[in-house]
Amino acid sequence: MEIPAHILIFKTNIATPHDLQKVKPVLDTQQQIIQWTIDQTDVDCVLRVVSHHFSYNSIIHLITETGYACMELPD
Amino acid sequence: MRVRDESKIQAITAKAIEMVANDGLENLGINRLAKAAGVSPATIYIYYKDKDDLLTRISEEEGLKMCYSSLDGFDPEMRFAEGLWIQWKNRAKYSMNNYQAAQFFDQLRNSPYKETMLRSVADAFRKPITIYLTNAFNRGEINQMSMEVYWSIAFAPLYSLIRFHHDKHNIGGDPFTLTEDVMKQTFDYVIKALLK
Repeated sequence: MEIPAHILIFKTNIATPHDLQKVKPVLDTQQQIIQWTIDQTDVDCVLRVVSHHFSYNSIIHLITETGYACMELPD
Repeated sequence: MRVRDESKIQAITAKAIEMVANDGLENLGINRLAKAAGVSPATIYIYYKDKDDLLTRISEEEGLKMCYSSLDGFDPEMRFAEGLWIQWKNRAKYSMNNYQAAQFFDQLRNSPYKETMLRSVADAFRKPITIYLTNAFNRGEINQMSMEVYWSIAFAPLYSLIRFHHDKHNIGGDPFTLTEDVMKQTFDYVIKALLK
């Protein structure tokens, strides 16, 4: 199991399937995101992004633009 | 570049197994798991995509661990009885030393993770056991039989003994501890049933 070089972990309020459908196109169209997942079973609706190019701030910007809360999940 | 921290992964895995064994699959939460393992939730998400990914991978890893420990010192070229006795001893040792993992597997019984675990185990077992049974058949030690028949006769008696041992009593309610003597006695009957 190789850990990719850049994994970004966020706390969000993307809680329902409907919410997911709203952010999906935004994340899917980013060529530089290798993989993204949201754990909707978790209380923090954790968004996990694998990307060598995106910073925490740029993802936060992308998500908040869609009307959802997004902040770095503290380590 | 992040460094993979093996000790953190081990702590996460061990705690996840313990929590699922004690509280069931549906009660496992990443936050509670993080607290129990002494890591932050973010750390868990570095290694696993989500709870589903975590459970899938742990099921596979534990299944394989069980499989490799069952085959420790086993050689498919062994005579039938010798090969089976080694597997009995290995399986008993694994079950005694990994009671939590055994309970974890019990919790997986009716879940999709069980399928994943069984698939990885079946793949690892298939080749050596197929060779072992084919050899035994070719040497005229056993009759041709399906994998299900072989497994049921070969191992179900052992797992009954292990269950009594963990329950600390037999089916009649009398105290019971599994000894090598009882195991060997049971094994001898099993071998009688399986050998031509």
